[in-house]
Amino acid sequence: MASSRPKVSSALVTPAIAFLCLATVVPIAAVIALSFGDFNIAFPEKTRFIRLYNYARFLSDGRFINAALVTFILVVVPVVLQLLCGLALAIALKENLVGTRWMRASFLLPSIIPPAVGGIVWKLFLIPGVGGLSYLASLFGHNFEADLLGSKTSALISVIIVSIWFGVPIVALLLLSSLDSIPDEIYEAANLDGASWAQAQCHISIPLVLPAMGAVAVFQALEVLGIFPVIFVLTGGGPAGATEPLNFYAFLTAFTYLDLDYSAAILVAFTTTIVGVCFWSIRQISATRVGR
Amino acid sequence: MRRDLGRHIYGYLVSAAFALFLFSPILWTLSTSLKQPTEMFHWPPVIVGEPSAQHYTAIIADKDFSSALINSIVVSCSTIILTMALSIPAAFGISHLQKTAMRRLLTLVLALRAAPAMIYIIPYFLFFRQVHLVDTKIALIIVNTMFAVPLAIWYLSAFFDQVPREIEEAAMIDGASTLQTMTLISIPIAKSGIMATAILIFIGSWNEFLFALTLTRDDAKTAAVAILNFMPFEGTDWGKAAAACVLMLVPIVVFVPFVEKYVAGPTTTGSVKG
Repeated sequence: MASSRPKVSSALVTPAIAFLCLATVVPIAAVIALSFGDFNIAFPEKTRFIRLYNYARFLSDGRFINAALVTFILVVVPVVLQLLCGLALAIALKENLVGTRWMRASFLLPSIIPPAVGGIVWKLFLIPGVGGLSYLASLFGHNFEADLLGSKTSALISVIIVSIWFGVPIVALLLLSSLDSIPDEIYEAANLDGASWAQAQCHISIPLVLPAMGAVAVFQALEVLGIFPVIFVLTGGGPAGATEPLNFYAFLTAFTYLDLDYSAAILVAFTTTIVGVCFWSIRQISATRVGR
Repeated sequence: MRRDLGRHIYGYLVSAAFALFLFSPILWTLSTSLKQPTEMFHWPPVIVGEPSAQHYTAIIADKDFSSALINSIVVSCSTIILTMALSIPAAFGISHLQKTAMRRLLTLVLALRAAPAMIYIIPYFLFFRQVHLVDTKIALIIVNTMFAVPLAIWYLSAFFDQVPREIEEAAMIDGASTLQTMTLISIPIAKSGIMATAILIFIGSWNEFLFALTLTRDDAKTAAVAILNFMPFEGTDWGKAAAACVLMLVPIVVFVPFVEKYVAGPTTTGSVKG
């Protein structure tokens, strides 16, 4: 019986793995091939091989360079802030104080709502003068009517804040589960030795969740540009490209300008960079762990 | 430590700040959806004066949006069924492999899912255009299944790991085949984990935007995209947009407690085990 098991197992596993490989490897190979070609969707039979021409276009494309910069900002800044805010929230929720327990069950909401809905929700919230933000300001006696999505810097900051809003709950949840796994005895021992709560957090909680934070950072770096629908709804990449990351630019290039081969080149460059950096980071993280 | 004041001050301040940050945009949308049109432009802004359901009746009566809602439900439920049909056997198989083979397969599954979704839009668009499946639910179901399977295998294999091996072996000794053991013993035991996974698949499919935007036109449009029809251009239809958002949020709000309970569970315990 034991010897027949692996065979049965592989028969069970094969359909899903085959489907996955077919649905991921083939399309990615197709995109890579497309990026080396001159392809017109109206005349697919005239497709030519043009080597690295599409990649050479990057250098003279100011919009691409701007989008690459925006991508860098929209990955690094939100991920760092998500980790810091997520840790702050996780430490607060771990205490299970009376009156904050309801949050443990519900704070996850922003991370799992449809991103397009999140975009509309924030658009409504930021309407100049009559939105929710103006309402909150009026509670404090301020008259706030600025159009945050109208200028380049404030639009970028708004997108970063919305990105934090989407990411903080899931980051906090992952860090919270890591905090919850720290044995209570450690805190009790620190308490007996005269450590205050704040000292216990700095010297026990934070050092012990640091390894988890590395993995969460990589996970979030891959996920954070999933706010494409938010950008689509909230700013449309504007004003003047201030909130247009590479995936957004590639989307427009493909489906608005119908320049599919150039879009493919952008996507290949974008994906290789982001996946490459993330895999490299995972290696670094696991290497330091083994080193210990 | 219980008498420590810092703990309480920090806990309450931070929780309150995040409650305000995380929930106020959503609550504002809820309030906007219930407002009378005249209250929209009130200065200073108001929460709700006289609640009215007019925006909800308007969007339900809107044929485009109500059919998009039905599309969303059909696509999400079909994605659950197709994903489960592929993932349950795979996860059961993986969880019965030897440790090294298991870890390798799970890593492969995860690696296949690492690339950002955007890389797939061009090939999928060209493929579905070629086979005349653009603007059909089938195209969306296939794409959503592709994104759901890695996640489902990852979660389900952690849940199957928790099924006591003794019970499965007892069934085998009594003459049950592997398939019978899986359907009659392991699946019923892992039932709650399978439910949780189904919820996650539902949410992923319900929320999917990119492919619904590029692969559908009218017939197969899902609610996550159709909601843009109410996009507030220069102060029109804010109430309808807000009401549509609230409707889209209903299933998500219902599922939040399940997700909170399960999402962190298998990822943390599972990774320790693997």
